[in-house]
Amino acid sequence: MDTSPTFSIGPELAKFVVSSGVLNQSFATVRDLHGEIINQNEHRVRHKVSQQSNCTIIAFSSWPGCGKDYILERDLVSSSTPEEKTESFPLFNFLSTKTNPDFSINKAALEHFASIRDRLPNLKSQIDNSKVLIITGNSLGGSVAILFTLWLLETIDFSITKRPLCITFGSPLVVNNGLQNAILKYPTWSSCFLHVVSDQDPFPRVLIAPHNPPATESASQTNVYKPFGTFLLYSKSGCSCFEDSQTILELLMATYSEGPENQNPNQVLELYEKIVEYLSRKVICMDATRLLQWTTPQRADIINIQLAVIGLMGPPQSLQLQGQNNGLDNLITKIEKQETELAESRRQGFDPSKKLNEVKINMANLEWYKKYSKERGMGYYDSFKSGSTQPDITVVGFKKILTQYWVDMVDEAEKKPQKEGASFRTRWLGAGTNYRRMIEPLDIAEYYKGGGQDYIKSRRPEHYKKLEQWLKEKPLSVPNKLKKQNVASNLTEDSCFWAHVEEARISCQLLSSRESSDTEKELKKLRKFENYVYDLMKYYAVSPEIFLPQSSFMQWWKDYEKIMGTSYSSNLSNLMKDYDKYATGSLEIP
Amino acid sequence: MASLNLGENIEIDTELIKKAYSLAVKAHSKSSEKAYNVEESRRSSDPVIFSFSGCWSENGWYDGEPFGVTEINLPLLFPSLRSIGVNENALVNKAFLQRFVDKILGNSDFDREVQKAVKKNKQILFIGHSSGGSIANLATIWFLEKYIKPEYNYKISPSSPLCVTFGCPLTGNHIFSHALRRENWSRYFIHFVMRYDIVPRILLAPISSIKLEFQKVLQFLNAKSVNLAHASIDNFDASNFYMKVMKNASSVASHAACNLMGNTNLLLETVSNFIPLSPYKPFGTYVFCTGNGKLVILRNPDAVLQLLFFSSQLCREEECTDIAQRSLQQHFGYDNELQDCFQMLNEVHLEPLEQLPLSSDTTSSDIATINSALNDLGLSTRARLCLCAAGELEKRKIGNKESIDLKKPDIEKAMKYLEEDYQLNCRHRDLGCYDAFKLQETSKDFDANVKRLELAGIWDEIIEMLKRYELPDAFEGLRDWVLLGTRYRRLVEPLDIANYYRHLKNEDTGAYMIRGRPKRYRFTQRWREHAERMPAESSGESCFWAKVEELRIKISSQGFEPIKEEVLLLEAHVQNWINLGELSGDVLLEKSTFKKWWEDLPREHKLTSCIKDLKVRKAVTEKKQILFTGHSIGGSIANLATIWFLEKYLRSDSPDNYKISPSSPLCVTFGCPLTGNHIFSHALRRENWARYFIHFVMRYDIIPRILLAPVSSILLEFQRVLQFLNENP
Repeated sequence: MDTSPTFSIGPELAKFVVSSGVLNQSFATVRDLHGEIINQNEHRVRHKVSQQSNCTIIAFSSWPGCGKDYILERDLVSSSTPEEKTESFPLFNFLSTKTNPDFSINKAALEHFASIRDRLPNLKSQIDNSKVLIITGNSLGGSVAILFTLWLLETIDFSITKRPLCITFGSPLVVNNGLQNAILKYPTWSSCFLHVVSDQDPFPRVLIAPHNPPATESASQTNVYKPFGTFLLYSKSGCSCFEDSQTILELLMATYSEGPENQNPNQVLELYEKIVEYLSRKVICMDATRLLQWTTPQRADIINIQLAVIGLMGPPQSLQLQGQNNGLDNLITKIEKQETELAESRRQGFDPSKKLNEVKINMANLEWYKKYSKERGMGYYDSFKSGSTQPDITVVGFKKILTQYWVDMVDEAEKKPQKEGASFRTRWLGAGTNYRRMIEPLDIAEYYKGGGQDYIKSRRPEHYKKLEQWLKEKPLSVPNKLKKQNVASNLTEDSCFWAHVEEARISCQLLSSRESSDTEKELKKLRKFENYVYDLMKYYAVSPEIFLPQSSFMQWWKDYEKIMGTSYSSNLSNLMKDYDKYATGSLEIP
Repeated sequence: MASLNLGENIEIDTELIKKAYSLAVKAHSKSSEKAYNVEESRRSSDPVIFSFSGCWSENGWYDGEPFGVTEINLPLLFPSLRSIGVNENALVNKAFLQRFVDKILGNSDFDREVQKAVKKNKQILFIGHSSGGSIANLATIWFLEKYIKPEYNYKISPSSPLCVTFGCPLTGNHIFSHALRRENWSRYFIHFVMRYDIVPRILLAPISSIKLEFQKVLQFLNAKSVNLAHASIDNFDASNFYMKVMKNASSVASHAACNLMGNTNLLLETVSNFIPLSPYKPFGTYVFCTGNGKLVILRNPDAVLQLLFFSSQLCREEECTDIAQRSLQQHFGYDNELQDCFQMLNEVHLEPLEQLPLSSDTTSSDIATINSALNDLGLSTRARLCLCAAGELEKRKIGNKESIDLKKPDIEKAMKYLEEDYQLNCRHRDLGCYDAFKLQETSKDFDANVKRLELAGIWDEIIEMLKRYELPDAFEGLRDWVLLGTRYRRLVEPLDIANYYRHLKNEDTGAYMIRGRPKRYRFTQRWREHAERMPAESSGESCFWAKVEELRIKISSQGFEPIKEEVLLLEAHVQNWINLGELSGDVLLEKSTFKKWWEDLPREHKLTSCIKDLKVRKAVTEKKQILFTGHSIGGSIANLATIWFLEKYLRSDSPDNYKISPSSPLCVTFGCPLTGNHIFSHALRRENWARYFIHFVMRYDIIPRILLAPVSSILLEFQRVLQFLNENP
């Protein structure tokens, strides 16, 4: 539907970042930290906390002398490495997910971070929750800032504070694709990272440059390091922001203009000082984008603007002549594709509300099925289990759609960071609970029909468990008159009810066929089940459909009565004398 | 006589604009005595011009950190200044609002003078320079809110009222702008802005960032307003002020540009937490003066915001001091500039925005004029892309509206099913839709449920778009959608309520009205309340059943006495809603939840209840034959009752579909006096209603003839005749 040209946000976002002043503020703290007098036996990572009127800034810097050598080490430390070797790794275990059990971090960066481990509690205590937080650092200090921010994201409750912002100046890449994926799963997390990179700074590129031989065998493949967050790439002609990681990797290499003077970390620091100062002056000046003659802008033209902004392209006249420059053309095509894909995937992002009404139509169909089965005198659980009529077969389709939807929903909620996950859950829990109570009996029916046993322990799908966990059940209360009268239209509150029934039936069979080796155990189970049903009835928490003549529950009751004998009397047997009153809410339950 | 063409059929005489400017500047010098002036010439064709003075103190601009805005919560003065569905009031500059309310409305002369002009049906102008322009904005909105009502009989036309401002600061936020466009009022506002005039940009900066210089700038502007020639400001202060305002303008503009372009990078949001972003947004038609005789006209608020920033950027860093001085001097330079512009009348309309030439050396002839105007405003390709993005966004909004318009037939079809098939089916079961749906006994109920959900899907999508402002601003004021929304709400909300209470969601979620009511009904109810100028929350007829259910629950737990007041209130509402035809009469059916509940109320309450007599209604609902009858004067009353009935139930939009037939209704009278004149008779025959009236008259019965005599001629005897009739029934 949307055929209008897509715009490139990169240059505008960069302009916003610059004019907001966050670069100046954070860089000033980094500079102050570097200006402090260093005494000999100082830690190799130093930090500074600066309280400002609108925010708190924490800056990190590494001891300049050892910076470069460390950066050049390409070693990664994997999360599967035994713990004694990597003292700080447990701090990041929260980042491993089911799909990403294993990930790696640059060794130098990790060791630097490990060296401030003792200072973490103190640092955390200086964070003022009422103010926003910037974490910053240059070069390896930037890497420490990244790891510190990741650590914070897990330990601070950001439902009461705003998201922090981590700004690095010329930090090398620190993570592999395992960790990159883990972070990219949480868009709000990767939105906390902004990496400023100058076209003259070698450090951010050193780990991905193909011409640097790997230091050890284990890291022999190139480009194991991956970027995440937003990169603000700077060149003499301006700056632009990029988010697609593949684009970033390519542009980092393509924009590098090597100079002899920028191998020294101190000079690199000066470089960034100039950049920050220059950009902030330029932000109110007209930019120099004058490009090809377009009538309607094409996507590629807009990419051109971005590349011109970061100095990859000269003025238009020269561009038209450099048609032979295939490398650049290829780059443009590639970037165009990657950026479009990223924007597309974002736009189509998971939006459960769009489908909710559709899903509800499927639920309405199920309700109808339930009613149809009730009229057949067996309830939808047994009707589905028998699978003998057309509706029993049709309903499988509705069930499938619903299950797919809720599996995705639960998965999505699980993936989100705590706070968002929680609000997500409260919004959808009502519908989810309804779904669980309606559909899970069908799963149980399928399972026991296929001869399965012990559904709850061995087979219950994960998403039902989650849905049930999230519903922090209120303790059952004595039902009021309206609830009693309405019981006929309610679903059984415990969605595993039928699994209990099936288990009880199995016990009965074992007892009557005298197969069971442990009669006492089976009887105990049955008595437990009896009490369970009694409680459900007492609170009107079970649907009266269980009393329909052909229901499995009634079959069980018949079997059970046979085993226990006619003189057997219990709470439940008293109720079962006139269970038909239950449906109208007029059954007196002591 | 030359006139400036502003597009959309609006033209103003250039002499009038010049006159307005001189009056606007003159207003400043009298500010100490009176906050406004009125200029009225004898000639009846001349407009009445109200000019408002500016204010030169810091807290006359910023009343509070960081941007001095306040929520407009004045439903009587400014009922329209809000976003209807999402129910959010607009934000406005607090100091300006205060000044308008205290100094202008507080002065009873003002309203009197406006009324005088209204009575004479004169063209009315509200004008102002600098912050006086903001007061003029508020005065114009106040005027529109008040005098658009039919009782004032004032002819609102494209040229009256008009608000003309010069170098006016921003006044309200995006909802302010949205609301004016929704009401189609933004065309009454014309703002002239010089390319470098800093004043329209000032409020893009938080006061904290410009505190040091602002005082001096105000001093300078004040001096200038008294004596144009003799005022100066230090270069250092001017430059700092200019740079700080522009840097903030840059933040606002680039943040807005990212959103216009459909940003998906959440970094934007993270960084936004670190700085205060100005909430102000332009509205109305902007006329930018390029500085060399051209006028650039545009009205898309997003594009205006971009242009406010881009047009006053520096071309080179070195010119900073110069531009900074100009940014202050130009605030008083409108007369010379406009003089030049009006001589050439070289106006350029930036439309359509999405097709602006993007490169400054385009040569194609038809867009060359636009191009050179954009060059004169100093717009680079990136700046032009930002304007295009604003145009594209508007285009997308229109596209969204078109795509939901295409769904109207689906909505109509589903609603038709519920209105006709389903309702009829329920009647056969002696049930109202609510109760039938709640019972869910037949496959028709299932079909109705599917229709309900299909409709919910479409409406929820519309509501989502409204929440994100993805539909044109005018949408919530469109009559067809307001009506459709109201019909939808009355028809389907009862089914949602039935579903809610059927599943006992009130047990775990809470009462429907508080926790369960979907936004699609909350929104559509507000649409109607706004369109019909009803008080907030007063059109709750579609929630009737939720109220009944909650009262049932309350009575079953607390008994009748404690909630008697609520019952009385509900009964009064029911009576009213049924009489207005807003609530279907099926609520009175014998088997309805409402009727059953009501019958269970204490007898002494029922005897005095206001709804015990809703008999006609019940007969209509049950499709009974209806007879109105009367003897003597009673016959005349029966006549009137029959006409009332026909007027009411013959309407095609009556919710009851009462079938009028030759035998129903019928009016049968005996010895009935005459009731109406020849037009009365004519009208009944025209409507073909005369056939419903049957009058029996005895050969000598005098009563049907009485009204042929003037009362003066029978005065003496009539009294005694009446007495006789009364005593011999």
